[in-house]
Amino acid sequence: MPYRRRRSKSSGIMTNILKWLTFSFLLFGGCWYFYKQYLSFNPEKILSESTLKEKTFSSKPIEVISPRHKIKAYLIEENHAPIISFSFMFSGAGRASDNKNQQGISGITATMLTEGTQNLTSQQFKEKLEDYAIGISFSSNLDNFSGSMITTGEHQEQAYRLLKDVLTAPRFDETDLNRIKQQMQKAFLLQKEHPQSILNLKFAEYLYGDHPYGRNPLGKLEDINKLKRQDLLKYMQNHLAQNNLLIGVAGDITPETLGRVLDEVFGALPQTTAIDFVRNPNVDFKKSDKNIEFASGGQNISRFAAKGVSRNDEDFYPLYVANHIFGGSGLSSRLSKAAREEKGLTYSIYTYMSMAEKSPLLQGKFSSTADKYQEVEDILHREWNKFGQKGATEEEVESAKKYLLASYNLRFASVANLSEILLYMQKDNLGLDFLQNRNQNIKKISTEEVNKAAQKYFKPNGFVSVNIGSFTQNKEK
Amino acid sequence: MAKIKYIIFSWLALCLSYSSVQAKLFGAQSFTLDNGLQVVVAENHKAPVIKHMLWYKAGGVDEKVGKGGTAHLLEHLMFRGTSKVSGESFNEILKQNGVESNAFTSLDFTAYHHILDISKLELVMALEADRMQNLQISPENFALERDIVYQERKQVVDNNPSAPFTESLRKVLWQEHPYGRSVSGTEEEIKSLTLQDVEDFYNGFYTPDNAVLVLAGDIDIQTAKDLAQKYYGTIPQRQMAEKAKFTKINPNVAARLEMSLPQINTPRLIKNYIAPSYNTEKEDIYNLLVFSKYIGEGETSELYKDLVLEQKKALGISSSYDYASRSYGVFRITALPAENVSPQELEQAIDKSVKKAINKLNIDRINNTKDKMLSGLVYLQDNPFNAANTLGMMTSLGMSTEDIENIDEKIRHVQYQDVKKAANKLLSQMAVVTGILNPKGEN
Repeated sequence: MPYRRRRSKSSGIMTNILKWLTFSFLLFGGCWYFYKQYLSFNPEKILSESTLKEKTFSSKPIEVISPRHKIKAYLIEENHAPIISFSFMFSGAGRASDNKNQQGISGITATMLTEGTQNLTSQQFKEKLEDYAIGISFSSNLDNFSGSMITTGEHQEQAYRLLKDVLTAPRFDETDLNRIKQQMQKAFLLQKEHPQSILNLKFAEYLYGDHPYGRNPLGKLEDINKLKRQDLLKYMQNHLAQNNLLIGVAGDITPETLGRVLDEVFGALPQTTAIDFVRNPNVDFKKSDKNIEFASGGQNISRFAAKGVSRNDEDFYPLYVANHIFGGSGLSSRLSKAAREEKGLTYSIYTYMSMAEKSPLLQGKFSSTADKYQEVEDILHREWNKFGQKGATEEEVESAKKYLLASYNLRFASVANLSEILLYMQKDNLGLDFLQNRNQNIKKISTEEVNKAAQKYFKPNGFVSVNIGSFTQNKEK
Repeated sequence: MAKIKYIIFSWLALCLSYSSVQAKLFGAQSFTLDNGLQVVVAENHKAPVIKHMLWYKAGGVDEKVGKGGTAHLLEHLMFRGTSKVSGESFNEILKQNGVESNAFTSLDFTAYHHILDISKLELVMALEADRMQNLQISPENFALERDIVYQERKQVVDNNPSAPFTESLRKVLWQEHPYGRSVSGTEEEIKSLTLQDVEDFYNGFYTPDNAVLVLAGDIDIQTAKDLAQKYYGTIPQRQMAEKAKFTKINPNVAARLEMSLPQINTPRLIKNYIAPSYNTEKEDIYNLLVFSKYIGEGETSELYKDLVLEQKKALGISSSYDYASRSYGVFRITALPAENVSPQELEQAIDKSVKKAINKLNIDRINNTKDKMLSGLVYLQDNPFNAANTLGMMTSLGMSTEDIENIDEKIRHVQYQDVKKAANKLLSQMAVVTGILNPKGEN
């Protein structure tokens, strides 16, 4: 018995210790649970108990083909407000395909298109737009010539008529053209004031040399000054046709009405274009960096670029996620954390994917005062190389995917956004069901794919940079 | 930044100018919680998204003298964490939930905004309510963020070659009035800021009775009420610090400022008038809104037709009118002289042209202008994110939801005689500064 007692005593102690351990474990665990659930900030709990649940944007795009001219458009019918938005594009008609001796012609044409029609002077035309609250505008970027039109349901017939006249019977008065030329002369002067704007010009020049992508986006003043009405008409004849036309429409319009409108507005355009297509540029991403001395009271600015991918490339999604993690996600990106959040060296540092047809890039930008500049540049190189070699963590990829999924609906806020999305779905050949499939595509992305892309595109020191500011003065650390 | 205000304003002006008579502009509704927090809700069920904005009626003007940049630095530090959520977690939680989050500071206000999927709203409300009460600023984060706002000033202000001109114009026009200050603060001011300055501002002004919550998007009014009460309703009021005292301006100021600056390649001209605002002369703002549209907004305006098309003395000219201020508003004319026309010559031509346009005012011309302003009101119902900006600003400056929703009615009732009177008063009885910016080496 004593033995037993002793044993029992010792086992009693053990039991007590165990009990005590279990008790304190439970107590501690309970407190922790209580703290997590009720005292600390618990995002999962807030979301799971939230009264507002996830919904999907339900309007599905359809394809409309006009009865007579077989002109195609993507449409989202959306009746929340009596508003209709058209986004359209003549692909390949952008400024890079401007004739070498007519640099700037696509931009000038874009501006001149809203300077009246055969029946309406510039002033009469602009009065009409304002009276009926119709917005019509054109622009030309590197690759494409784009247009947009927004109208209220009430005045839609007016809007279609005006747009048709603009595209098929523009006015192009000499007086208006002269005024635009003089405004352009000032635009060239203003363009060379801000260091950022100067850098943009030098950056394109340094990257692309004499390839059309290296040109001044405004064109050449000498060329612009020589342009005549006839030149603009010829530009339109050769560049704006049915075979390079893409159209996205959203808002309060039925497929039947849209079919009729497509014929009316775009049916009189020429069938085919005669565009001098742009060759692919040869970009040397290993080229040494270029520093431009510039005295300002502000900061040095750096732009940098590496090879990127086009929208249809199989590396697109993995690189998209990689970029998001590295420099695309604002304050939580690796670059921002390293240079801004942890060091206070810069206000902005970021990377993004640019999608120019002949030269998709992975680009970035930062700016910092001259005394801190070198340190930021070092951080950029260090982070870039580390990302290329080691890639992203599983958590980072998961977090990036969560962002891309959760922010999906934000793009549907306005009808103009919707028509724009529909236009780009066609331009990038994403298919009519893109919106339904997009989130599945994001979910499929694996960490391994992301890291393969990181390795492939974030090559050691594999970017070229052009910088503006003070690089010679004494740098205090 | 201060600029945001003008962007929002030109947007509203654009929408008003895009002009269909609708019963409602935004269809907004509002209510106030027991703790004084005003809430404005605009339903828009197009997409399952929402914009959440929290406006504090405190900005650069409420800073202590010599402490420029306090409000802005605090805005930055609001992203650096609370006693419950670290700054890093704050940013990470928002990112993982697809929330686009940012903030801006102006002289009058500081606003925090998020655009998000409707399913994440409660999360955002919880985070925003948390940082209204529990902000925690460590000395390390303070020092880092002060460096960052210094870099921001260098990037946004000092890299801009015309910034010294615009900063000086503001000082000359406003003199001792708090609108003469800069939101970013000067370099010296930023460097002199202390943690205490920022905490005092937070404790003094970030109280529910000094704030406006805007919810615009896929939500109904009842849910908005329940959620606002749930997350913000229990936040206690704090003792409010003393707000800016707006000194009376001297209407006799008619100042000129000419500056020649390096990097400027072509001259420009600007005339800024101190003007009535919603808070100084409520009824006059509608007359001046119509006047600004008539005289200088868009390429069918009187000044554009006369000076760009007819006389060819300018290559661009436009006016704008900002009435959305806690103190006075600003009426502004900016112009780009044509080649071989001096800014002085253009200035004289503008003065004559403005007088001519005022004399020409009659019932037809005013009706035509009003029609243009009212024809596109339906666009205001399109994008909830834009609606939130406008509603937030107008409510913060003291406009009732009823007044906001009735702007179109007020404009419809504007008479040409009153426009004439208001315009003449503006031009002859209000302080003005004429500024000419020249390239260095020319005069």
